[in-house]
Amino acid sequence: MGAPRTLAAKLLRAVLRLAPAESRDWAAAMLRELDFIEGDWAALLWALGSAAAILRHAASVWRAWLNRKSKKETGMNNTGKKAIGVGLGMLSALALVGCAFAVLRILGVVFPGLEHSSWAYWLAVMAVPEAIFVVATVMLWRKKGPIAAGILAMGLGMALHVAVHFTLHW
Amino acid sequence: MKLRLSPQTLLVLDAFLVQAEEWKYGYDLSRVTGLKSGTLYPILMRLAEKQLLETQWEQGEPGKPQRHMYRFTPDGLRFARANAAADSGAGLGQVALSLHPQGLAEA
Repeated sequence: MGAPRTLAAKLLRAVLRLAPAESRDWAAAMLRELDFIEGDWAALLWALGSAAAILRHAASVWRAWLNRKSKKETGMNNTGKKAIGVGLGMLSALALVGCAFAVLRILGVVFPGLEHSSWAYWLAVMAVPEAIFVVATVMLWRKKGPIAAGILAMGLGMALHVAVHFTLHW
Repeated sequence: MKLRLSPQTLLVLDAFLVQAEEWKYGYDLSRVTGLKSGTLYPILMRLAEKQLLETQWEQGEPGKPQRHMYRFTPDGLRFARANAAADSGAGLGQVALSLHPQGLAEA
């Protein structure tokens, strides 16, 4: 047995060992055929082509398995994903309000007295964030529904807070 | 039946149509069709997955290496005949002559 044929046999045996269960029969079939191929170099070419074929088959098997797994997980965790989306929307809204407060504080340092003026306070902390919430909710509603719902909930919460504040103090 | 009918697939179908009831070996199919193993086997795998081809290990004598064999299922035979009829038939003629060299002399 020449070196190319030995190499071909070794290659196909390795492929047979490593192939997934679904491809193993085919790999064994290709290895058996090696004994009937005339010419050492032809045997090596046969083994190379066979290894490529098994690799492609194994890749398609793994891809199908991953797709099935991914679909299964999507179905199982759908509620969890929605909850995470809502939480993310609320956090984003909260971060925006935090930023608004920070900007108001910085402006208060730069322009003393501005922080305590009621119109600036309401504009920075209430009107602008609420307007952003409304725009973001409308824009995200179709594609990122849960996030939009989170933003909307936070916006409504803030509006309710303001309403209660006005009722109690004015 | 959703199956990509490339020229290579048609060649393989044609090769199976010659003495369709007989089992065929991979290397013989490769020689007849002129396809390399890297092209032939993915086609055989697809045909087998679509239940157009049945596969079997040869029940040989003890000590002799078994070979994997292939032949059409009834569905596969119908499918191949339908496609051969739709095709021009040039490929089928070539394969038939390759499988039966004596046919060339008779012709």
